[in-house]
Amino acid sequence: MVIIGENIHVIAKAVSVAIRERDAKVIRDLAKAQTEAGANYIDLNVGPMKKDTEETMQWLVNTVQEVTDLPLSIDTMNPVAMEAGLKHCKKRPLLNSASGKTDSKQNMLPLAKKYNCAVVVSVMTDKGMPPDADSKIESIMDTVAYANELGIPNEDIWVDPIILPVSTAGEGQRFAVTNLEFIKILEDVLPGVKSTVGLSNVSNGVPEQLRPLLNRTYLMMLGRDGLYSAIADPLDKELMSLAKGEMPKITELIHKAMDKEDIDLSALAQKEIEYVKTARVLMGETLYSDAWLES
Amino acid sequence: MDYKAPVEAYTGVVREVAIGKGNKSLKIGGENILPLHFFDQGSNPNPVKFALEVLDMKPEDWPEHAVEPFKDVIANSVSWAKKCQGAGVDAVSLFLMSTDPAVKDAPADKAATLAKEVAEAIAVPLIVYGSGDEKKDVEVLSKVAEVCDGMNLLIGPVLKENYEAVGKAILNHGHTAIAQSPLDINLLKELNVKLSKIFPPDRIVIDPLSSALGYGMEYSFSLIERVKQIGIMTKDSMTMMPIIANLGGECWKTKQAKENKKQGLLWEGVTALSLLLAGANIIVLRHPETLKLIKETIEAR
Repeated sequence: MVIIGENIHVIAKAVSVAIRERDAKVIRDLAKAQTEAGANYIDLNVGPMKKDTEETMQWLVNTVQEVTDLPLSIDTMNPVAMEAGLKHCKKRPLLNSASGKTDSKQNMLPLAKKYNCAVVVSVMTDKGMPPDADSKIESIMDTVAYANELGIPNEDIWVDPIILPVSTAGEGQRFAVTNLEFIKILEDVLPGVKSTVGLSNVSNGVPEQLRPLLNRTYLMMLGRDGLYSAIADPLDKELMSLAKGEMPKITELIHKAMDKEDIDLSALAQKEIEYVKTARVLMGETLYSDAWLES
Repeated sequence: MDYKAPVEAYTGVVREVAIGKGNKSLKIGGENILPLHFFDQGSNPNPVKFALEVLDMKPEDWPEHAVEPFKDVIANSVSWAKKCQGAGVDAVSLFLMSTDPAVKDAPADKAATLAKEVAEAIAVPLIVYGSGDEKKDVEVLSKVAEVCDGMNLLIGPVLKENYEAVGKAILNHGHTAIAQSPLDINLLKELNVKLSKIFPPDRIVIDPLSSALGYGMEYSFSLIERVKQIGIMTKDSMTMMPIIANLGGECWKTKQAKENKKQGLLWEGVTALSLLLAGANIIVLRHPETLKLIKETIEAR
């Protein structure tokens, strides 16, 4: 599993302040920590970045490259900031992200061609978020065809089905299941394309201490269905061990829960029970509540 | 070839909850089919029940046509409650509005004494709703539970913010609890999970909040529908409780209900009928003529 380290993002106050005040140490420390933790890419989520775009992106990209040899994922919806970031990358970067929206197809996708980099393409269209696996496939096939015409090969396209918070009444759980289906059929309909997800979004709105469990479990579930990569927190050690296949017993239990097998919870350790219960929530088997581990 | 209609048999059963004591006892819930799915395997042993509202103070913002049926008793909750019985109610629901710090901040013991008087004066079970102020209700509802010890009133709202204290008082004095959450199935389940750790789940009734027609009723409808589906079809123990739809107050504060009587009755009636179809087990109304209208509709008269 390719892990794109998510920790440099402007939603974190420390990061947005560090970027504004050009505090290189904060940025370097985050880049170094994620590199040492085993990330494969470093994501630079800079938001819309409307002010001092050129200069800020150059500073940020260079600051990170001073301490890591990992390739970067430039994460912004603003094509100007995107290009400003891409052009300073030493390693072949990841453009994160384009979508099926007309604006994005016209302004983002050509940048992937121009800078010869891989590109994340989400299923979003002008009509918004496709509601089920079939319509997500339909939307992504259109966008991939468009990218192919621009000269971007399938191998450079990382498809993002978009994860929603599981805690969103009703819809969140349905989407969690939909995305598993999507990942499963993706390879058949678009051979060669890769896949990625913004993993932590699955646990958005969930009490802080419970979030990692949802992230870890869902990563393993998506991984079983063929997920290629995830934008995730490499500083979560357990997540990284799971991703590297170092926790086979837990992984097996998650798979059993996915197959809806009967599992004797009384024979399991507390932590194993928690993984099983979490997988059942993500399979839509148990109705989500913040107290899902308690019942 | 003969056609045989498929028959579903579900595994979940809504808990049958009893409120009131002795000959005043009433059962709600107990169904193992979805609302009105009488063609499936299973039954609904306790058809929907109805209660009318009684306030603990003279209502200030009710339109004339809502006050009218009770105008001779409106200043006396006990007489008011007695009069409700003439309308054929299954229960009476007393609202302790005056205890709200933003209304009169009336003391808990006064409210509790009134609850007991009302409960003793009527031949049907009593539902007691606090003001909804999460802090004051701890005091008020605990006192009501204590003073009415052993009468098995249906008491609420028990909220996420006060379930421990209020739940304990309701339990210790032999009553049944209304667990209320703000129109969200995940929060609804969470409260039931937490409350069930200190309180028997077969003495919990769910109040999902019932919005009026035109003011979000469809949210209440889908929520009630989903609670039933998840309980009965997927056997989620924490949603297998009966549902109370407390909608009178919501309906009568709408502009449309205030405008004229006929519109008010229809507004409350359509809301009640809709939530009943979604699966509500007990419905709290304001106007006795709405109750009559609904009963006629159900009995297809």
